Amino acid sequence: MSKISDRWASVAAGGTKETEQWPTHSFEDLIGSTRFDVHERAHIVVDDTVCRDCPSRECIVACPAKLFVPTSDGGILFNYEQCFECGTCYLVCNKEGAISWSYPEGGHGVVFKRS
Amino acid sequence: MSQVTVCWKWVSVDGGDVDPRWSGVSPADEAALEIGLQLAGAEDVTVVCVGPAEADTVLRYALAAGAHHAVRVDATKAASNDVALAIATLFGDTELVVCGDYSLDRGTGSVPAYIAAHLGAAQALGLVHIDTASSPLRVIRRLDGGRREVLDVPTPAVLSVEGSVARLRRAPLAAALRAKSAEIRLLPGPAAAEDTAQITDYRPRARQLPAPAGGTLARVRDILDIGAAKQTHAETLMLEPSDAAALVIKQLDEWGYLGEQPAK
Amino acid sequence: MTEFDVDVVVVGAGPAGATAATVLARAGHSVILLERGPFPGSKNMYGGVVYPRMLDQLHPQWWEEAPVQRWITRRSTMVLTDEQAVSVDFRSQKWGSAPYNGATAFRPDWDHWLASKAEADGATLICSTTATGLLRKNNQVVGVTTDRPDGDLRARVVIACDGVNSFLAKEAGMYGEVDAANYTVGVKETIALPKEVIDSRFGVRGRHGMDIEVLGGTSGVNGGGFVYTNLDTLAVGCVLKLPKLTAQELRPEEIIDRFKRHPGIAPLVEGGEVQEYSAHVIPEAGLSMMPQMTGNGILVAGDAAAMCLAAGLWLEGVNFAMASGIYAGEAAAESLAVGDVSAKGLAGYERRLNDTFVLRDHKRLHRAPEIVLSDRVQHLYPQMIANSVERMFRVDNPTPKPGLIRVLNQERKRAGLKVRHVVKDTLDGLRTFG
Repeated sequence: MSKISDRWASVAAGGTKETEQWPTHSFEDLIGSTRFDVHERAHIVVDDTVCRDCPSRECIVACPAKLFVPTSDGGILFNYEQCFECGTCYLVCNKEGAISWSYPEGGHGVVFKRS
Repeated sequence: MSQVTVCWKWVSVDGGDVDPRWSGVSPADEAALEIGLQLAGAEDVTVVCVGPAEADTVLRYALAAGAHHAVRVDATKAASNDVALAIATLFGDTELVVCGDYSLDRGTGSVPAYIAAHLGAAQALGLVHIDTASSPLRVIRRLDGGRREVLDVPTPAVLSVEGSVARLRRAPLAAALRAKSAEIRLLPGPAAAEDTAQITDYRPRARQLPAPAGGTLARVRDILDIGAAKQTHAETLMLEPSDAAALVIKQLDEWGYLGEQPAK
Repeated sequence: MTEFDVDVVVVGAGPAGATAATVLARAGHSVILLERGPFPGSKNMYGGVVYPRMLDQLHPQWWEEAPVQRWITRRSTMVLTDEQAVSVDFRSQKWGSAPYNGATAFRPDWDHWLASKAEADGATLICSTTATGLLRKNNQVVGVTTDRPDGDLRARVVIACDGVNSFLAKEAGMYGEVDAANYTVGVKETIALPKEVIDSRFGVRGRHGMDIEVLGGTSGVNGGGFVYTNLDTLAVGCVLKLPKLTAQELRPEEIIDRFKRHPGIAPLVEGGEVQEYSAHVIPEAGLSMMPQMTGNGILVAGDAAAMCLAAGLWLEGVNFAMASGIYAGEAAAESLAVGDVSAKGLAGYERRLNDTFVLRDHKRLHRAPEIVLSDRVQHLYPQMIANSVERMFRVDNPTPKPGLIRVLNQERKRAGLKVRHVVKDTLDGLRTFG
């Protein structure tokens, strides 16, 4: 038996207290588990002049891929590379015209394998 | 250039799973096809790919993008030389063979070399630029230390290009539809090599570095910047502003900061 | 006179698109099935359970070849508070043999398989191609534009199976105002554990598996959680109502992380390694958000037509997508046969939806999504139920056992529920689920 299965034997027997000691995944590790075939053209564009007046900034907390980051000068920095193409951002956005969102070019973007 | 052969290597990304969803060719291989298509007067571009039946998916992708013919060499884990011989036999009269500089499994790049040997052709590796309109073909090759080499390549030749030289064009819809049912020529491939190297994660090969000069103490001092007699450039002069400026420029030039002076 | 490239273009090779294409190809029509991902299923994510009985007719003996992870033979509905968990656990060995009930499967496998069946029946699948808009002529949809060079595709009928964001249905004017309150976002971790560990933790054997739906445990954000067993992975995730998610500070991955640490969940998932993190938006509001189903030359099916059933006890979607795809295919074939592809000619689609479980279930349960995601059901009842059960099962000697009615009434008060609320919610519940 390998060491790995020994470890599993103890976990299965309920013999560990791993729960409290679980490290919280870094978000980068989490999203690093998913495959993205990034295209050079951004399929999300944020007009951050509109965002400057936005007090609520729903996109920052809601985007499951953490693509929207507040900047110190009150704007929003957006990424598009590791995007699930789910649509949460434009659905929650309260500012007309702030987020332009489409799908990436065919064949690019997220590629799920075990979802 | 009337006849160009592009060589692809199909690789399963997902270890043992032979599934078109988790397999493909490298960006360098795709770039090789784009270069093939761009080459002046390329009327007959053939893509040849080594792999099992699942590799037909990537050959249809190549046909959709504009390749004129597709050939699959039916082999997995064949020795590089056997593959190269099969290709060289089939395409003995080709003027130019374009390959990716690396495959998805980071192979050794030996197939292009063997093909060049079998064809008696010139070979240029690690190309970062190809002037597709030039004749003879002018290419730029990557050398160590960030240097570049400009080559004029005679034909026949085997080129290996990096992935950055070109992005493969997007197939028009009609071509994508046609490629679904296009013919792919099947070439019986060499048998699997007896002693195939285990494919492992990519690791750069070890490099030989010269032993550091001086004794241990000197090296420690050097690293920590303690007590070493560093050459300093400190001078205090009283000069007219124009003379001072001239002197500064002269000194900077001596130290090599200014590069070549523009002609006066 | 427009010349057509093909009889029907189906946009999106998910479960709706693949079944529509199969039906049409078998009826002898030329069909192009467009998929924007590199292969069908590559963009698709769901909780993890599919109910495939709609395939009995289309692909008899489908279970012999479908790419299934495990057959669900154990199903548990769980209510979580901070420190308590109440489960209703059901098991049936019958669900472990043909024709089965539900199964866990990966969408990149399931959708890929279903689309390959459409191809085998003669549909032409074109991947890596995004439909960017509709071609129209005199108020009639006559095809789609795609993002490929020379990418226009003219078709007599367009079936939009382009998913929850359906830009095509929106462009065709079939949707009313889009309201974030109608949507939830599902986030999920696929967690690797050895098969034997999963078998022992969930009490299942062989290819049998378990499905756990959870009310509560989502850090106060209205929604729910789930744990599903795949062969050697678990699907663990949360479904979060968008306006409630944005009204607080925790991000989706933090909410999953807390869900996984709940004492009722942690022993099931601990020690596993995350293999994939995924997210997708779900059309949660059912009937009230559905678009117009037919237009001139266009039909909408699957998530594009908001056909997910999120009714608490039932969480379904792929079956509705497959059914609506089949009916859209049949209706389109019917209209092509008589040469009338106007909305009137395609009306057979809506008739089929109305006559079958697709809209019958949605009509019967039209208030369920609202009830299930309401603040009282999400926050107050779980507390009341869990506290009541705790008091019923607690042996508090020498204090004598309390009566059930008394306990429920006290716990109702403690949870902050008024009698009239309970009466109203009970009646609403009976009317909806009864």
